[in-house]
Amino acid sequence: MGLFVDDYPDEAWVVRAALASSFLALLIGGLMGTIQALHRTGFLQVIENSTYYTVLTLHGVSLVILFTIFFLVGFYQWAITDSLQRPSENIRLTKAWYGLMVLGTLMASIAILGGFTDVTDMSADVLFTFYAPLEAHPLFYLGLATFIIGTWVAGFDWFRSWWAWRKDNPGERTPLRTFMVLTTMLMWYLATIGVAVAVIFFLLPWSLGLVDSVNALLTRTLFWFFGHPVVYFWLMPVYMMWYVILPKLSGGRLFSDPLARIVFVLFLILSVPTGIHHQYLDPGIAEGFKYLAMTNTMFLLLPSLLTAFTVVASMEHGARQRGGTGYFRWLTALPWDKPAFTGMALAGLMFAAAGFSGMVNAGMNLNYLVHNTMWVPGHFHLTVGTAVALTFMAVTYWFLPQITGNKVFSKRLGLWQVVLWFVGMVFMANAMHRVGLGGEPRRTADPFYDGVVFDTALGSISELHFQIALGGVLLTVSLLMFIAHVALTWFDVANRSTPEPEVLPPALSGPEHAPAVLENLRLWTGIAIVLIVLTYTLPLASIISSSGFFGQAGTIVAGMLDLVITVAQPLLEVGP
Amino acid sequence: MSSGTESDVSPDVWDGEIEREIGHDEYDPIGTLGLIAIYFVIIALLWIFMYFVEFLGRGPTVV
Amino acid sequence: MEIHRYEKLWFVVSMLLIIGFIATITYGAVGAGIQMVDDEGGTVDPDNIGDYEIRDGVTFEDLQEPQAQHVEGNEYEVAIQAIQFAFIPNPVEVPENSEVTMYITSPDVIHGYKLAGTNVNTMVIPGEMTEITVEFDEPGEYGAVCNEFCGAGHEEMEGILRVVPEDEWEGDA
Ligand code: HEM
Ligand SMILES: [Cu+2]
Ligand SMILES: [Cu+2]
Repeated sequence: MGLFVDDYPDEAWVVRAALASSFLALLIGGLMGTIQALHRTGFLQVIENSTYYTVLTLHGVSLVILFTIFFLVGFYQWAITDSLQRPSENIRLTKAWYGLMVLGTLMASIAILGGFTDVTDMSADVLFTFYAPLEAHPLFYLGLATFIIGTWVAGFDWFRSWWAWRKDNPGERTPLRTFMVLTTMLMWYLATIGVAVAVIFFLLPWSLGLVDSVNALLTRTLFWFFGHPVVYFWLMPVYMMWYVILPKLSGGRLFSDPLARIVFVLFLILSVPTGIHHQYLDPGIAEGFKYLAMTNTMFLLLPSLLTAFTVVASMEHGARQRGGTGYFRWLTALPWDKPAFTGMALAGLMFAAAGFSGMVNAGMNLNYLVHNTMWVPGHFHLTVGTAVALTFMAVTYWFLPQITGNKVFSKRLGLWQVVLWFVGMVFMANAMHRVGLGGEPRRTADPFYDGVVFDTALGSISELHFQIALGGVLLTVSLLMFIAHVALTWFDVANRSTPEPEVLPPALSGPEHAPAVLENLRLWTGIAIVLIVLTYTLPLASIISSSGFFGQAGTIVAGMLDLVITVAQPLLEVGP
Repeated sequence: MSSGTESDVSPDVWDGEIEREIGHDEYDPIGTLGLIAIYFVIIALLWIFMYFVEFLGRGPTVV
Repeated sequence: MEIHRYEKLWFVVSMLLIIGFIATITYGAVGAGIQMVDDEGGTVDPDNIGDYEIRDGVTFEDLQEPQAQHVEGNEYEVAIQAIQFAFIPNPVEVPENSEVTMYITSPDVIHGYKLAGTNVNTMVIPGEMTEITVEFDEPGEYGAVCNEFCGAGHEEMEGILRVVPEDEWEGDA
């Protein structure tokens, strides 16, 4: 078995293209982050306050939609091809979904970039959550829809490979990586229903002028139907890396294959019926639904807590195989000189910290304390901004040789890069949490008010602002180092010898120990659907029955739909 | 056959730096248990602090 | 399936942690009496906010005054409109030792309303009436910020809520 790029050159091309798109988005989004960190702390304001929101939209969309998802599709294409040991069933389809995603990206980007110039009145200053009635140019919604359809086709492509593999290998257990890809995509199909309905039925017609109002709470609820599980769409590839690649880098083996599968099944089942936890402070939703979302969310902690154990145990196994001993002394036997390992381990450590702020966010009434304050960006720069982003960057040092055929440019540079990201984030995210506790709002260009002061414990607000700016600058340096490093490797500037192919070791407790029912994806999807129906039918019915599909200031079209609703009222009234 | 965690390739393909092969049954992740116990204690204490001091300790609150 | 006994132990401990969280939150809701913003306020026509009926004979407009209106005992009411980019009325005054029900809504886009340094925090969504009740025990002044992005100018959106000592209260009592 050779290098991935030699065995599957066409698939490797798509993987490389997806990664290149991902890194471009990371660069652009990251630089916007620098502007924000300096602007909102008052250190350097090179843009108008009103432009800040265009910048912030670009930051959010580039990083949490484009960077993460392009990376995911590239990585998953590799995972499918490499673990099933078969090329794409039809490489033209594989290229087509990548093309669709690029097309969607271009459309949405043009709309967002329009916000920077007065030449056109096109703009999409709606942030990545696009809460109506804030309105973006239709091209933004169309681009988003196209992008998502691209991911749907990608999922189909991967299922097709699996179906073909199953025909050739009857009775065999699905390889772990493929299993992870498939459960992720099933989760994604369910999750994207919410945003697809919001965009296709409400936001697009409204932005095109076909209907003249929207039900703000309804589109918001549909957004969060998607908005929470999308978090797991970023996280599940990371979990795959932690389960499959990190043990190998540590010199050990995955502790338990069946447990890894159980964790992915739990994500499939529990990801969607939690979205209302982003709406704890929304009027128009009864407390009971919020309580239900809270309990679901808390149980969703379980797969992550279990992962923490399995992943650390796999690292410990590696350390002990490499000669590590003692209760904690084995930690020093880990390969801290490998940027891929160190980056992933630090990302995992940050994720543990993020677990804490996440539990607070999930705490329903406790949410009064932190909702929409800087605490929240503080939290998700630890999750998506570090656990995900830093793992992706770290894994790139391991992954890039497999798909380009070039050795990584410099281990030492890579090591500095991942450590710098970690340090930068410690400053920025910690200070964000603390100004948030003082009440400073997020998504605000210039949070200095005439009549509002924010009291912070341990350290003044200006010291904390300094830490945010400092962290932001360190992160920017790390980001530029990363991009430069990728370029140096990609174009093989150092002209090194060809890398060795990587083989992933089998788990200590292999798939043969997994109960067969785990393979029953229909069953798990069915359970997921039942849970979604249970948690969402009543809240949605009550939102629609009280304000109609298109809000109170309805149109003729909306009026007709309202009529339908009135007729259907008795059915909906079964609710609260 | 497929590569990856699922394969039954011989150990010497991946164990370049391994001094001692440790199997599932002879391995007790005692260090992990210790680390995770420390994590548990930190999380539990921080939670109590956040809920009862930071949150309930400050007013006014929605009732 | 082989699961190591430490792993089983961690599973149990994790479940206890989760149940502990849920129990704390339930205590906050039932024991400490903290209510969530919910659908009590019902819906409102964003183009005719003033006409929204708070109860028989009292509309949103009637309560949209700089001083909270007295209901009975220590109960007061006030209505605030969140609009790009201001809270109306502003400032708002309430007496010390009062229990104030606040009605907040928006005619345009989604806003937020948070009193800095407190646990008073809510979303304001056009078409929905936010109804929250807050106890103000001590005199003081709180800054209010809009904490949801509502358009260019969002960073300007602020307000003041003053809790006036009982002996200085000039509103109706
Ligand atoms: C150079 C590194 C980065 C810096 C300096 C930075 C800085 C910031 C700052 C200061 C904010 C708060 C803006 C506000 O609420 O007013 C923010 C928001 C945000 N950041 Fe970052 N960030 C960086 C990297 C990342 C990464 C890697 C991700 C995700 C992969 C990310 C995701 C987000 C998201 C989703 C928001 C919220 C956007 C919104 O509220 O609409 N950031 N960032
Ligand atoms: Cu969420
Ligand atoms: Cu605002």
